[in-house]
Amino acid sequence: MNYAIETNKLSKYYGNFRALHKVDLRVKRGEIYGFLGLNGAGKTTAIRTFLGMIRPSEGNVKVLGQAIGLGGGGPWAKIGHLVESPAAYPELSVRENLEISSRMHGIQNPKAMQDIIEKLSLASYADRKAGALSSGNFQRLGLARALLHGPELLILDEPANALDPAGIVEIRELLLSLARELGTTIFMSSHILAEVDLLADRIGIIHKGELIEELDAARLEELRAKQLVVETRDLIKACETLCDFEPVSVNGKINIKDPRAVQSPEIIATLLVQAGAPPTHLAVEQENLEEYFLRLTK
Amino acid sequence: MKNLMSALWAETLKMRRSTVPFFITLGFSMVPWIGGLFMIIMKDPEGAKEMGLISTKAQLMAGTADWVTFFSFLAQAVAVGGAILFSILTGWVFGREFADRTAKELLALPVSRATILTAKFIVTAIWTMVMTLWIFLLGLLVGYLVDIPGFSMELLRTAFVDIIGSALLTIVLLPFVAFVASSGRGYMPAFGWVVFTVAVAQVAALTGWGDWLPWSIPALFSGAAGPRAELLGMHSYVIVFTASLLGAFVTYRWWQYADQTK
Repeated sequence: MNYAIETNKLSKYYGNFRALHKVDLRVKRGEIYGFLGLNGAGKTTAIRTFLGMIRPSEGNVKVLGQAIGLGGGGPWAKIGHLVESPAAYPELSVRENLEISSRMHGIQNPKAMQDIIEKLSLASYADRKAGALSSGNFQRLGLARALLHGPELLILDEPANALDPAGIVEIRELLLSLARELGTTIFMSSHILAEVDLLADRIGIIHKGELIEELDAARLEELRAKQLVVETRDLIKACETLCDFEPVSVNGKINIKDPRAVQSPEIIATLLVQAGAPPTHLAVEQENLEEYFLRLTK
Repeated sequence: MKNLMSALWAETLKMRRSTVPFFITLGFSMVPWIGGLFMIIMKDPEGAKEMGLISTKAQLMAGTADWVTFFSFLAQAVAVGGAILFSILTGWVFGREFADRTAKELLALPVSRATILTAKFIVTAIWTMVMTLWIFLLGLLVGYLVDIPGFSMELLRTAFVDIIGSALLTIVLLPFVAFVASSGRGYMPAFGWVVFTVAVAQVAALTGWGDWLPWSIPALFSGAAGPRAELLGMHSYVIVFTASLLGAFVTYRWWQYADQTK
């Protein structure tokens, strides 16, 4: 299969420090891949390796079917990237910064720049110096540079950084439309796990330089722990009644992870009513990606 | 070729928009005026006496008020001042990419890293050479305004070779500054390098080994320590040329193969 990104036993060592260790990662064409990891887990090292900025100690990287050369050769005309924090020449305007990118990518379409300025809501700031932009608009400029040439593959390190809630939604919708309508492959790392949860088709989790989990959204759904949350006015009596289900009382609520309770909450409701402690709230809740991630990396 | 033109366009825009090259050029433009001031002082000894220390310094540096002295002053200023200011400019052109964290935007582009470096070297070389020509022309204007005696076309030709030659020898050594700014990931290490090379060049020139040290050779060419035919040999030019190639080679290799983590 021809992957958008493929690594084989990819490793990077700095002395005794293992930044990456035998990472075998596959990103299919057209999918949105969420890359998760704690600070220092190896996310940015991996991204820089994909972009030929860091040479692997062992293993190799293929991007869009092309091996990344030792001297930094790669299919860069088809790739847009945003690595760590966005960067721009502060004394140049937004338009001039984009003009540099446009020329470096050999973009012929004269409308491309104006389109991306409008798409990322930068029209009001187009002639403002990049150094005078707010951090949110600076992030938008970084994204505009990554998207300007209509890349097949987008590699984005924390794309939602510094954006306000409306901006986060806007960028999410933009990325979704790129993936769904144009078939753009998106590889993104993010600390905002809720964002990854909403966007990603597949998720890879890196921890201490190792890819410890790689799974698609449906499988993740299955793996996330579920629990029954019960609220009642008589907490003590309810706990006594449900002692067979190993209830845990937290902040005035009862959490039950027993699969019998999760799969048949009506049994719990009946037991509580019969015991004279009827539930005021009864719901099956699924752990979110953040909780799953923390459970995995503990 | 199209890629090189794009990279040249980008580097020129960055240069034009920044205040750093402007202020370096402005600072360098003071040289002919300072030389002109020395000439005025020496043309009027009575006035010079009243000026005290400045007058003494002017006598020490310049000698007599004529075009030979004035051109000699310009050539030495270009050789020594150019070594400092051209290096600061080069350090900024390469080091700013790390200070502004834009280096990573240059690494994964359809335009190769080597092409971007070549554009940086070309723009730096052109800017510094234009600065030198500007100093030379400004010097002629200042000399005319101050009414320095002893002008001749032969002197003009000799001075042109001295000044432009010193500048060229300084410019071809700039790749080392580019390497220090790149591998040091910022312009501050390049400034340190400038101080180091200027100091070492002084010591080498004073101890009589200047013709073997690349960074002493531009000043010796300018006539700062006497006629260059007596001070420099063919080996000196070979050394400067070799040092230039070596500096360029390590800079290209570094951008090509070093891990880029900033």
